[in-house]
Amino acid sequence: VSTLYRLERGLLEDTFRHFRECGRGRHECQALWLSAWSQPGILTKVVHPRHSAHLGGFVLDDDWLNEFWLELGTTNMGIRVQVHTHPGEAFHSHTDDEFPIVHTPGFLSLVIPNFGLGPVGFQEAFLTEIQPDGRWKEVPIASRLVLT
Amino acid sequence: MSSHQDADLLVRIHIDGQSLESQDSTTGVALYALAGIAHSRYLFREIAGDAEDEPIEPTDQPIHLQPDDHFYSQTAFKVWVLYNGVKKPFEVRPEETVKRLLDEAIRIFGAANPHTLSLFKGGTELPDGQTLKEAGVKPHDLLLLRPGAVKGG
Repeated sequence: VSTLYRLERGLLEDTFRHFRECGRGRHECQALWLSAWSQPGILTKVVHPRHSAHLGGFVLDDDWLNEFWLELGTTNMGIRVQVHTHPGEAFHSHTDDEFPIVHTPGFLSLVIPNFGLGPVGFQEAFLTEIQPDGRWKEVPIASRLVLT
Repeated sequence: MSSHQDADLLVRIHIDGQSLESQDSTTGVALYALAGIAHSRYLFREIAGDAEDEPIEPTDQPIHLQPDDHFYSQTAFKVWVLYNGVKKPFEVRPEETVKRLLDEAIRIFGAANPHTLSLFKGGTELPDGQTLKEAGVKPHDLLLLRPGAVKGG
């Protein structure tokens, strides 16, 4: 089920730009990494969902989610990784565990510390993956994500 | 004047193997009555080629018939469920519950720990306890299997 995804550095830079412009060091923020179903291992798009947020959390807009779900169908793309910021340390909270956007084994969730204000990269980030029994398990970032 | 004459034209059609006569301008209600189709069944007009057969709703919406149109009725029909960019067909019956289709879709798509997943039609969450008919699910509908809430903290 697990996949080693390729991610262009430009997409990672775009992701951090969203976190900094939207979260401004005061709010959490989320981004989604997508790839085509015809070539799932190559992440090609970063999406910044419409959401509300505060210091310690965020909630996606339900109308946006509905439109986005339809768009995924017409573009033949799938969400492979959800990425969000934490104010301080990166880890997966109970809310993160219970309310992901995708529920299939192999789906990844990456948490970026310090609202994404630090260096662009995976330093002190936390990556976890849905297991076949539905539980999340921390996995080494290098085993799932390769920057190209 | 000409529309009145058109409405009086009789055409021969075929429903579930019966040859029947109907005015060429009719309604779904009239077609169901003409062939004695029970409310628990759905009527479809056969479409040549690869296109989906046309579902006929038992309503007063006008329907125009062509000579030798073929129709059939059945209790099961097909809907589509979309999850994370993938669309799959499901054969369902109107008296099935939304929950039964939801559970089947979760199984087919392989979602694990799926307690936040629901079925949505047109942005509205379908109540688990209703039948598909009560929930307004119709042949060829596209339903979204998606979380009712996505959040983090």
